[in-house]
Amino acid sequence: MSVYLLRRTGAALLTIWLALTLAFWALRIVPGDAMAARLAQAGASNAQIAERRAALGLDRPTLIQYVQTLTGLLRGDLGNSIVSGRPVSEMIGEQLGATAMLAAGALVIAVLAGVAFGVFAVTSCFRWVRNGIAILVALILSAPVYWVGTLAIYLFSVWLRWLPSTGSGDLRHLLLPWLALGLSLSGSIARVTAGSLNEARHADFVRTARAKGLHERQIVFQHMLRAGIGPILSVIALQTGFLLGGAVVTEALFVRQGIGQVLLSAIQDKDFPVVQGIVVLSAVFYSAINTLVDVLIGVLDPRVRVTD
Amino acid sequence: MRSRQRRLLVLATLVAFGLLACAAIALIVNMLAASRRVTADPIRNRIVYGLTLMPSGFDPHINSSSEIGIVLRSVYDTLVYRDPQSKAFVPGLAEKWEVSTDGLTYTFHLKSGVKFHDGTPFDANAVAATLDRVTDPAIKSQKALYLLGPYDHYTVVDPQTIQIVLKSPYAPLLDGLAQVYLGIASPTALKTYDSARYQFHQVGTGPYAMIDYIPGDHVTLRRNPDYTWGPPFYTAPGPYSIDEIVFRFFPDPATRAPALETGDANVMGELSPTDAILFTGNTNIRLYPQPIPGEPMQFLFNTTRAPTDKLEVRQALILATNRSAVVDAVFQQFSPVAYGPLSAVTPFYALQVKTMYPYNSAQALDLLGKAGYSDSGGDKILDQNNTKLHLTMIVPPWGLIPQVAQKIQSQWRDLGIELELRQVPGFTALVAAAQSGDYNLIAYDTSGVDPSVLDTVYRSDGPFNWTHYQSGDMDHWLAQGEAASDLETRQNMYLAVQNHVMEQALILPIRDYVNLNGATANVGNLSFDAYGWFPLLANLTLNEPGKSGGSP
Repeated sequence: MSVYLLRRTGAALLTIWLALTLAFWALRIVPGDAMAARLAQAGASNAQIAERRAALGLDRPTLIQYVQTLTGLLRGDLGNSIVSGRPVSEMIGEQLGATAMLAAGALVIAVLAGVAFGVFAVTSCFRWVRNGIAILVALILSAPVYWVGTLAIYLFSVWLRWLPSTGSGDLRHLLLPWLALGLSLSGSIARVTAGSLNEARHADFVRTARAKGLHERQIVFQHMLRAGIGPILSVIALQTGFLLGGAVVTEALFVRQGIGQVLLSAIQDKDFPVVQGIVVLSAVFYSAINTLVDVLIGVLDPRVRVTD
Repeated sequence: MRSRQRRLLVLATLVAFGLLACAAIALIVNMLAASRRVTADPIRNRIVYGLTLMPSGFDPHINSSSEIGIVLRSVYDTLVYRDPQSKAFVPGLAEKWEVSTDGLTYTFHLKSGVKFHDGTPFDANAVAATLDRVTDPAIKSQKALYLLGPYDHYTVVDPQTIQIVLKSPYAPLLDGLAQVYLGIASPTALKTYDSARYQFHQVGTGPYAMIDYIPGDHVTLRRNPDYTWGPPFYTAPGPYSIDEIVFRFFPDPATRAPALETGDANVMGELSPTDAILFTGNTNIRLYPQPIPGEPMQFLFNTTRAPTDKLEVRQALILATNRSAVVDAVFQQFSPVAYGPLSAVTPFYALQVKTMYPYNSAQALDLLGKAGYSDSGGDKILDQNNTKLHLTMIVPPWGLIPQVAQKIQSQWRDLGIELELRQVPGFTALVAAAQSGDYNLIAYDTSGVDPSVLDTVYRSDGPFNWTHYQSGDMDHWLAQGEAASDLETRQNMYLAVQNHVMEQALILPIRDYVNLNGATANVGNLSFDAYGWFPLLANLTLNEPGKSGGSP
């Protein structure tokens, strides 16, 4: 088990390094110097602009900047924002709560709705329920979160006036973003759940369970779902990647405080340290969730349990 | 069969219970929120003001975004102000001021009895503390520092008098000192908080004090009850004045109009013209189109790349553009057509440019014929020596410029001129495209009251000289306009620049920038300062006192 964990940690570190490297170079491949453009607009002379670039370390060779970014990260230092001068860790920290709240709620809705859709899509004895859910899931899978969100805003805020369309405050501000993001993530979960159940339906242990006279509900929840838990948990773990991406869009759409907004303006401003910090954080989060889920699958499913 | 029926019954009951539970939760949440709003609301008049972008930094001395000025213009006073109508300088924290005959020394006599929001008394040392901070290389100012021009040092003469000394004469200094980026901050607050933290604890002398700033979420201002030292155009507070203003961010243009409609916001800037036109018939929402002084939305001609290196071609292209049709279609008549390098509300605007290039496609074709272009291939595209009349235009995404570019493209196509549009994603990419030099036209606009904004574009070595036009005359006029302290010389210099720019057909002006603001009908006296972007919050009223804004 410990060898396994060690290997997983190594893989996670590799993922984080790759993500950081990609973000670092991608930002710098795009032509243009945001700080120079900003200063020129404010009336700075070329000499003043050169002086500022030197003070910010932007005049150093890109490879040196890259090494500095890496060594900084090893010391746990994400650097300071070029635009606001504030520590990146602080800028991310103050937004983390809002994004975590959005992501956690959306994930709960995604899992509940996804599993429920999956179960009903397979086990309902009415064909119209099965077909209806299949169509719904196809719709959810093909509709991007900003479309679902915009519809929700027009329906619940502009037309019915039940919920506020924008902002972050009390729970009322969270309901629509949760629903929009959660539902759009539930599609893949529903599909994988349905797939797992379909596969299990004709398995021998299900026939045995039925022969024993077990109640259908027991068969579905205690036998079929339990056997198909691996793929379901895996897809949930994969969805956390989309969860982070979707959170950026959702925050922009519902004008919510959060990391997404910081990321968007940092990309616009070419504020390298901020973008890199958020990418590293996302990679850490993504790797952690995936490792956790892999371990969890082992615990729940003896067939894939790892042994030393 | 029975079990199937029973399951259907169970399912139906579950669904019904689920719906009921949802409704109940929504009801309880709503009630809780409503009761909290009532109890936690001792402020009588409160409004929500929508900001359009989320600035990465909120410090006026450090950051350069115009958005932060919407909030901070009312937190700080400046040494001088500009009158919103006449644009003339009027007293701010300085009661009066003198400029030495050599134009190097500005002496400011300060008002007495002024206090910062934290109780610190205002005096010459407070001005000194702000100047020290802005010029400190460690804070890395992105705008305020450059507004000071060739600043050398200050001298505190006595507690009520301070001198600012320049290295060379610089007439736009007063314009810089009138801007919020040089707002005078409390020396106590500057000492208490380091440069990265001060933006959360800003203290000025203005009509509103900053209560809190949560990045990405909101900024709150509360009325300063002691405020009596405002500029002449601030009205005294009355029962309808606003006690508290909450600023929230609406960076996505699509969210702005719905926020006004639902009452999530009482005031909102930068509405799209299509949203604005819908509001014209709406009695609940009033429109406040606000012209912005500066350089209009325009396309700069690259004078070093064929075919726009020829004067006749550039002139023909201006004549070939039906600008009022473009502006009507894209901006729904909310914007005036632009005719020259300055917008019509900018001081020293040259009226002559207005009649120089009236839309005339026949004359345009005539000029192109003289330049050697004809449709020899019969493909409805003009050509010369088997080279098509083909132009490249760099198009950034803001200000509906892509839509404008498409209209121009189709107008020119009818005349046999081929226009290729090259989209760039933002300002940084626009600058990068300009530096490549691979274009005939490139979009540009900027705001500012002092006509010295022309400098960066038309000086031979200006950072935005994307026309690549170099002229000793223009350099001389621009230098004189910046150095001369008398208004008449300045006016003559900038008139000469504007006329020369249009005679040489260096730009294709499109429209004067107009900020389309909207406000709910209960908001009154919404007006803006000389720079056009910043509301005079001190004058704002809520016409149903006691009834708060925000979500219903």
